[in-house]
Amino acid sequence: MPDDLLKPPQLVVDGREMQPPEPLEKTLEGLDQLQAGAELLLLVYCHPVPLFNILRNNGYVWREDVLEDGTHEIRIRRA
Amino acid sequence: MHPELSFEQAPPIDVPFRFFLTAPLFGIAAGVLLALAGGDMLASRWTPAALAGTHLLVVGFMLQAMCGALLQFVPVAAGGNIWRPRLVATIVHPLLIVATILLATAFLSQRPMLFIGAAHGFALALGLLGIVVGVALWHTPARGPTIVALRIALVALVVTLALGIALATGIARNAEWPLLALTDLHAAWGLGGWALVLLAGVSYFVVPMFQLTPAYPAWLARGLPLALLGLLVAWSVQFAIAENSGTQGFFVGGLGVSSLFAATTLHLQHRRRRKVGDTTLLFFRTAMLALLVIFVSVLAFLALPDLRLDPRAAVWLGMLALVGVFVSAINGMLYKIVPFLNWLHLQKLCGLQALPPTMHQMIPERSMRRQFQLHLAALILLLAAVWLPVLARPAGLLFAVSCAWLGWNLLGAVNVYLRFRNRIRAGVADHRS
Repeated sequence: MPDDLLKPPQLVVDGREMQPPEPLEKTLEGLDQLQAGAELLLLVYCHPVPLFNILRNNGYVWREDVLEDGTHEIRIRRA
Repeated sequence: MHPELSFEQAPPIDVPFRFFLTAPLFGIAAGVLLALAGGDMLASRWTPAALAGTHLLVVGFMLQAMCGALLQFVPVAAGGNIWRPRLVATIVHPLLIVATILLATAFLSQRPMLFIGAAHGFALALGLLGIVVGVALWHTPARGPTIVALRIALVALVVTLALGIALATGIARNAEWPLLALTDLHAAWGLGGWALVLLAGVSYFVVPMFQLTPAYPAWLARGLPLALLGLLVAWSVQFAIAENSGTQGFFVGGLGVSSLFAATTLHLQHRRRRKVGDTTLLFFRTAMLALLVIFVSVLAFLALPDLRLDPRAAVWLGMLALVGVFVSAINGMLYKIVPFLNWLHLQKLCGLQALPPTMHQMIPERSMRRQFQLHLAALILLLAAVWLPVLARPAGLLFAVSCAWLGWNLLGAVNVYLRFRNRIRAGVADHRS
């Protein structure tokens, strides 16, 4: 397992019980506060295409894993 | 889990918004008409004022909002590529307004030329919309019950339009056609085919997404549009063979199927993951309860022939369907869709340079909640006015005020959008000041 996956994320946004676009709002707020090299973990029940477009256009990279209960774990950091 | 949304294909925000902002104006017109006409308007579904008011609601309020939703929803949620949405909206929107005014005036004045003018207007507007949305829906690579529902709804809209044109022509020419039976068929395709199937198809998507409920059961999501289509086709065949005799079974069957949808939606909302009520949820629950009350009322009318033969029985069902089910559902949806589109378009404009106002800042929750209470009061008064004509004028007035308040709230959201957009353009947008 790569080292960066073992590190706990600095910021967690659990958007599973939020109404759209609240998870996106919280994530963007979180990215604003994210320090260099730090990671934000977003948990949602969908594949958030609008967020990925924003991340792609603003120099972020992410990794997405889908858990058994349908949770999408998205780990975001600066490229 | 939610289906995917693709906002890259979203049309410009003014495309859906022009329809959304127009809808409440026709709601106001319908309420004012009732306030002016009084209790006589509700004596039967066939009074000129009742026919005018009905169409102010179904094509003025409902069709406007549904056309706007379709032009937004098909590219974003169904992956369909709408040909030049702004041009289509620029043609369809004014045509629908003019045709609706002509039709309402035609019913009130009984002038044949106005019926013909309205028929032409609707044929042009819905013909263009039908072709553009139809091509998008048939070419989309997306699959699933929402796509099936949207396709069936569009077919039903075209059938409703064809029957409406036939009726307008028949009335204008004083033709000896079975106009009453044809009207029932027109209403069945319009409400049971177009409006309800579209509502169901959109609900499969937005109820789990916005109200955080489990997904609709697959058998219901797939079966409901097909069952309603089957019943409508069977009704139409029966009409071709024997006009209106023997069609009651299709009507009751269709309502039974619709009640399953209503009961399932209420059950899903009861199981939502976050038990926080918002105004959209209240509107949606009202709509689903009204749908169930229609079914119970029809069963009661079947058991009590004296009541069934009263002309006000049909007005009662119509009021429940138009104001109770569809105006409630659309009103609630608009409170979610308009702020959501505002936010997404503003976010797209400003990237990560600034954060747009939150959803709650677009339309104050308190103002939406108050308007819901007013809508509910208007609905109760309208239903009571069917049996107590003295209540018709205050009921109409209350409904007009409720629609005006809806329009005001939507305009407030548009103002928030414009203010923030102008600030972004001026390059001075900062964090949620």
